[in-house]
Amino acid sequence: MSYRYQYKYEWLVLLRERWIIILSVITLFLFIYAAFSGRERVEERKRPIAVAREEMKANDERLKLLIDSVERGLKSGLSPWQNPQRLNVVGQQAARVAAFDPQPLALIATGQSDLFTHVVKPRLYGEAQTLGFSELSNPVQLLFGNFDLAFTIIYLLPLLVLAFSYNLLSAEKESGSLRLTLAQPVGVTRWLFNKISVRFLVLSVLVIISLLVALILAGVSVSEQGSGILRMLIAILLYMIFWFGLSFLINLRGYSSGQNAVILVSAWVLLVLLVPATISHLANHLYPVPSRVVMLTELRYAEAEAQKKADSILESYYRDHPELMPAQSSGQHLYIFWIKYFAAQEEIRKAMQTVLNAYEDKLQAQQRTVDRLRFLSPAILIQNVLNEIAGTSTRHYNSYRAQVVAFAETWRQFFVPKIFRNELMKKEWIDELPSFTWDEKLVEKQYLADTLALIAYAVITFGVAIWLQRSLLKRELIISA
Amino acid sequence: MLFKIAFKEMKEVLREGRFRILSLLCLLLLVVAVFSAKKYYEYVNAQHRSAAEKERMNWLYQDAKNPHSAAHYGTYAFKPKQPLSLLDQGVDKYTGVSIYLAAHARNEAEYMAAQDQTALSRFGDLTADFILLFLIPLLIILTGFNIISREKELGTLRLLQSMGVSPVALAWGKWLGLFIPVAGVVILVFIIVYFLLVNIPDFGQVSFSAVTLLLGVYLIYYGVFANLTLLFSAWAKRSALAFVLLLTTWMVMCLAMPRLTTTLADKLYPYPSQQEFYDAINQDKKKGLSGHEPWSEAAKKLEQQVLAEYGVDSLHKLPFNFDGYLMQKGEEHEAEIYFAHYQKLKETYEKQSRFYRQAALLSPYLPARFLSMALSRTDYYHHWHFCDEAEKYRLYMMNELNMNLAENSKFGDWGYKADPSFWATIKPFEYEAPSYASIISMNTGNFAVLLVWFAASMAVMLVRFKNLKP
Repeated sequence: MSYRYQYKYEWLVLLRERWIIILSVITLFLFIYAAFSGRERVEERKRPIAVAREEMKANDERLKLLIDSVERGLKSGLSPWQNPQRLNVVGQQAARVAAFDPQPLALIATGQSDLFTHVVKPRLYGEAQTLGFSELSNPVQLLFGNFDLAFTIIYLLPLLVLAFSYNLLSAEKESGSLRLTLAQPVGVTRWLFNKISVRFLVLSVLVIISLLVALILAGVSVSEQGSGILRMLIAILLYMIFWFGLSFLINLRGYSSGQNAVILVSAWVLLVLLVPATISHLANHLYPVPSRVVMLTELRYAEAEAQKKADSILESYYRDHPELMPAQSSGQHLYIFWIKYFAAQEEIRKAMQTVLNAYEDKLQAQQRTVDRLRFLSPAILIQNVLNEIAGTSTRHYNSYRAQVVAFAETWRQFFVPKIFRNELMKKEWIDELPSFTWDEKLVEKQYLADTLALIAYAVITFGVAIWLQRSLLKRELIISA
Repeated sequence: MLFKIAFKEMKEVLREGRFRILSLLCLLLLVVAVFSAKKYYEYVNAQHRSAAEKERMNWLYQDAKNPHSAAHYGTYAFKPKQPLSLLDQGVDKYTGVSIYLAAHARNEAEYMAAQDQTALSRFGDLTADFILLFLIPLLIILTGFNIISREKELGTLRLLQSMGVSPVALAWGKWLGLFIPVAGVVILVFIIVYFLLVNIPDFGQVSFSAVTLLLGVYLIYYGVFANLTLLFSAWAKRSALAFVLLLTTWMVMCLAMPRLTTTLADKLYPYPSQQEFYDAINQDKKKGLSGHEPWSEAAKKLEQQVLAEYGVDSLHKLPFNFDGYLMQKGEEHEAEIYFAHYQKLKETYEKQSRFYRQAALLSPYLPARFLSMALSRTDYYHHWHFCDEAEKYRLYMMNELNMNLAENSKFGDWGYKADPSFWATIKPFEYEAPSYASIISMNTGNFAVLLVWFAASMAVMLVRFKNLKP
């Protein structure tokens, strides 16, 4: 049989099915809405970063002027806690903005970005690891999730695939034309595979065009983000192949259209709703996240003990209210106080660091274990791929926290040696202050592993379908038709 | 006639393979969900209780120190897990569980569980509410989508109508036949939950009327889906069409609407960013009294006021330590600023809630979800309540500490150390959840919308049955 003929015929049939055109238009609009919705979240994320950066610049100018005035003796009577010539004051007041700017394709997946703030300002004193990373938001929004492209792809795209292909064999069987087709020297499997290939081709083109249109309308530059978009499209196509494979498998069992629909929808509920939720549930029960509350009690105890030691260096009320320290006119005397202050805070900081680091190690180990469970469901795999391309995966935020903590140390090391050398702040140094830059390369990439796993899922589904088919004779199909 | 139809329908449903498999699956999942939720509840509460005890020990065993230093060391308040989280975990995963209570700042609740979990957890957890709100309606749809269209296709509807069966009796009979088996599964699960709750140590806090009310909410929610299933089954010419329509309805109502609504709610009534919120607070703080700025204008004004009040010309001559007094006044002033800003935040949250109630006219999932969370004490309102109670305790604690400093030391004497026995005089934090009566009265809007959904869908369904053509 000429397969070209079958392809042409299938294509014509598709064009004449009205509801497919309706579905296509709906898909396009859904993608466009999702892309715009995603873009709005990205704008929301950028705003506080821009505001913080502007404030920082204005503050820098203010400090420069103030230092200048103090150097020229114009401003006096400033308390030591306000005097910007003191390095510790600059260390606190000139905190740099350590921001996590959204990646160019951040609009495709909200990922974990709604759980965290993207602007942090580590200061000279205070424990960087205890810095707040939360953003203000209604937890109901976090619970329900967002209508972004990732949602449409993970949840709605499979339904589209199933709608396109659930009754490919059963409809022919019910209308009687299957007997005619199978009376020819053509294998059922090969014939159905051709039908499904046409549908896959058509749907792929539809999805690719809709996605590109949606992204372009939402302001993404396709030429610049070509690599990211290509990786995304490959993963989406593999995901679609998996679902087509499932449809292929069920169709070949020879059930009626109604039964196919029920089975495939149940499969969707299972694979997209139930299985990921069950895996997530099991993961958090079998490998629970180490308790922060337990860590907190250890931390508090360590802090209390360290405070006793610190009190021997400097009284606690001066540590809590350094501004109460009697104002002195001579600079030398003051810095000795600040060195003591710093040493006392260091005692506490070191004690807390040990507890915090131990906790972080346990948490990372638990997350790595749970991460491996993603191979149990194609929905989880594609979520991971989309999050990684959008730059909103768990690993990204772990890396952000780690990079901020590292920067806090860099910031401290700019000031500490100078404090111990009794230096005063120079206004030129304001422009030389260390700055934070986000390093995307530090985030572990799992795209290759995820794509290979998706390929495996697609191949295995089709493989199982063909293997099962061997046990069902063509004759049985014709007889039951 | 009605009950004959109902009885026959029930028999058919119970014999139906898909109902048996799906309901068994749902039952199994529900039992697993409820038991693991109970384990989690006990695990979290044991941790929080132990942490609270250790914190109290840390507090009591402080050495003799300046009371204001103790105020800076502070203490922690831990949010207890509620027993009905067995059924609905609500927003617990997305809210912090501990608040740092210390001087000069109102802190946010920390340690949101979701932040420490991977993106996998955003798919949801296998909790009872997940199955009750998502899967049971699907069970109803999958069991009943062809309950009338099958009769049309097989030709038996014509026979039924020729026997003079009234359309209302037919409708009600079919409805009961579909609803009762499903309700049976859910009631069974609730009975298990009752048993589990009785065995929980602090079950005295559990109101059984709340559990029953929760069951009622779910049953009304299923009633809506039963109405819709019968409506589409009667309306569609073929079973396949009924199925597709029902599935689309389920998806739009349960999956798409919640997400669309939150996106819109956030757009219409946005929350400020963390940055904006704290900037605004800091601006206001600078203008007034602050414990960290004894040289500020407001502090100087207070000084003049107090000196005039006591008729002395120097702070040293006051009968109490002015610094302690200033700390306390600063604390109170800052608390007012925080309160005002949190009020604004609450107003935004209330506007969003009102929007959710309006959107509920398009999806019965929304009011059912909110009612379920409210009755399980795991909604956002309960989190607010805990934060507010913790703040009240913090102010009480600060007042005790600052007044101790004011009354027992002289101005300028920062060397004053309170005796360690003083720490025990400050009572520990005890949290009591708001009364159920108040919760219910706050959620009457949601109740109303759900009932409207039930009544309206029932009415439309009955009208369709009246015009049923074989």
